[in-house]
Amino acid sequence: MKPMKLAALLTVIATGGLLLYATSDLPDWGDPLSPANAGDLSTHYIQDSRDDTEVPNLVTAVLADYRGYDTMFETVVIFVAGLGILSILGQGKRVEPLAEPVASEGNRERDMITITTCRLVVPIIQIFALYVIAHGHYSPGGGFQGGVMLGASFILIALTSGLPDALKRMSQERAIFLAGLGVLIYAGTGLLCMALGRNFLDYEILHKVLGGTGVKARYDSMLIVEIGVAFTVMAIMFIIYAVLSSKGRMRGGL
Amino acid sequence: MVEQFPIIIIIAPLFGAILIALLGFRFQSLCLPAVVGSLAISLAAAVGAFLKVLEQGTVLYNLSGWERVTTPRGLFSVSIEYRIDAISGLVLMVIAAVGLLNAIYSKVSVTTETPNKVPHYYILYLLLVAGLAGMTITNDAFNLYVLLEISSLTSYALIAIGSRRAVLASFNYVIMGTIGASFYLLGVGYLYIKTGTLNMTDIHSSLATIPKDSASIQVALILILIGLWIKMAFFPLHGWLPNAYAYSPTATGTLMGPLVTKVMIYIMIRMMLSVFGTEYVFDHLQWTNIVVGLSVVAIVAGSLFALSRSDLRKMLTYLIVAEVGYMVGGAWLANSMGMTGAIYHILSDAMMTFTLFMVIGIVITRTGETQLTAFQGLFRKMPITMVGFTIAALSMIGLPPTCGFFSKYYLVRGGIEAGQWAYVSALLFSSLINAVIFFRLIEMAYFHGGKAYGEEITDKDHEHHRSRGKDLDAEPDGTLEKVPCSMLAPMLIAAASLLAIGILNRPIAGWINAALETLNLAQGG
Repeated sequence: MKPMKLAALLTVIATGGLLLYATSDLPDWGDPLSPANAGDLSTHYIQDSRDDTEVPNLVTAVLADYRGYDTMFETVVIFVAGLGILSILGQGKRVEPLAEPVASEGNRERDMITITTCRLVVPIIQIFALYVIAHGHYSPGGGFQGGVMLGASFILIALTSGLPDALKRMSQERAIFLAGLGVLIYAGTGLLCMALGRNFLDYEILHKVLGGTGVKARYDSMLIVEIGVAFTVMAIMFIIYAVLSSKGRMRGGL
Repeated sequence: MVEQFPIIIIIAPLFGAILIALLGFRFQSLCLPAVVGSLAISLAAAVGAFLKVLEQGTVLYNLSGWERVTTPRGLFSVSIEYRIDAISGLVLMVIAAVGLLNAIYSKVSVTTETPNKVPHYYILYLLLVAGLAGMTITNDAFNLYVLLEISSLTSYALIAIGSRRAVLASFNYVIMGTIGASFYLLGVGYLYIKTGTLNMTDIHSSLATIPKDSASIQVALILILIGLWIKMAFFPLHGWLPNAYAYSPTATGTLMGPLVTKVMIYIMIRMMLSVFGTEYVFDHLQWTNIVVGLSVVAIVAGSLFALSRSDLRKMLTYLIVAEVGYMVGGAWLANSMGMTGAIYHILSDAMMTFTLFMVIGIVITRTGETQLTAFQGLFRKMPITMVGFTIAALSMIGLPPTCGFFSKYYLVRGGIEAGQWAYVSALLFSSLINAVIFFRLIEMAYFHGGKAYGEEITDKDHEHHRSRGKDLDAEPDGTLEKVPCSMLAPMLIAAASLLAIGILNRPIAGWINAALETLNLAQGG
């Protein structure tokens, strides 16, 4: 093993040296005039994104509009991650969620206080998640963050009331359906733009459907695609938890 | 409609995958038609886009509808752009065609090898094709990374969905692939810090204003190259490939073997030509000798490894490693002949390995053996399959009129022009090794094994064949009808395409050359 370790050490040193060498002519830390800060592209985003899209949070404007196509495929990445885990670890066959806990988990006490508290907390988490999704236009937030919170609320149910209970609310089939639906909402918005005669994801033309001006249509469409992202992220977060915690058997769980 | 062809190539498989995700779990019979249908649309759009490129030159398509913005320094892109020229048009057609043919070919194997996970499999399959096509078509360095993620994640799952050994092979690939992708992303990060843009054309024009000896640009190129070399299994970074492809389900190996490494080579060429520019890569850096030297090692080592394997699929995976060396070396010869050869070889090697993977898949399913000896006497038992095999074998060796001959011709000429004699001899050496490997198989298939009519079949033979688990000899004169048409037809089409690409070598090389010239003109500045 020793020569391998030595080789690894040398590789790490070489890579580190390479990275140090690269820093020699990088712009200064926080330099306001560096290309990434003051280049044509950033200047355009900073100055014109408000007029282009009416969205005050320019991160959202870049994420969901200018580079909305990347974000669509990031949603697909999430979808693929969940589906990949399911296809490697999962049983594949349809597994009926058990109405009664199986024997192995019967000896596990379900604590009334935690269950009741979570019943109270879960709706609040979900409402806050919706707020985060909807408020992405104005503050940090959006579909990814809100979707994670929604997923977390289901995971909380699984942690307190047991996985079968959570699977009754969100079965494996339903989760995959919702994840696919999320991608469909996003990609379908793009397809609708094409059907109306523009390029893929050119939201401007959607004013024909949504009403208002072209700029307003961009603003509204961003919310639609964020909702799509949220669906996918929520469902996939839960699937990943359910598959990993039950080693793919989708029962028992932690 | 014509304007939308570029995006249709990518979103047709995407929507096919969505359709399966929504309905395929309930109605499994929907899966295969959705896959075949969406890939057929994708292929049609790729052909349409390519014809348009021939007609009017490079096609640009901006997503999200943002036109390029004008500044005193020229136009720049604020969103993501697609760009098809003759080169990417050809690669896109190959990707869509291989995806489509393989979907038909693997109709049976998917349901037998992953019986419980057919919808899972097909969703991942479609998204892998979409990811590969998206990487080829995009003109945006970061969008390329996003699609690289998609194609990597799907391929990890498509490999591991099979046997238990495949899970370990896939895990190796996850580690290596993630390192490769991270290196690429890091390189793109440096480019962004230095140029403030992610659009490849814009990066290139900004790089012209940056001093050539900039350390960070150089490191960016090194990082991107190493990242892509890991992804394309360039020797000695090939460790993940043989097991991953050999232990994966049949349909995965047949899809990934021909496509993944080739797309990575295309991306390397793309980075060299349209991001960094030939002037920087070849004239300023002068790395030709180093990289071509590495490729010589890759060719020789890959060929020798292939020669030493007795497992059919393993042998084929090492041949891929050798062929990667051909293309990397050709691209780095720093002349247009070598570059043409490398790009032409992307097409021909994709189709050659595709045909071979399909033939070997048929042989393995019919004989139940995975070793070279499975070929014994196959000419009599499976004549049609062997016709396809012979064409592919001749192409691998490099005999006219197959495409393998012409790609080697361009590569060798490029090597001679560049004075890279080691590279030229490595190509010839590898052709010799290929000749040994494939003539051995052809000889086995033609002369050994199966008994002729009237010859007494001993009990021992019976025993032997029974132990194979299949009664191949039940019908000594052709067990054709036993190989489903859905497997034979795609294999024969692919084999025919080897001849077609070979015969059409002049126009194809002409298109590639014209595209290279526009790139060089755009670059020369």
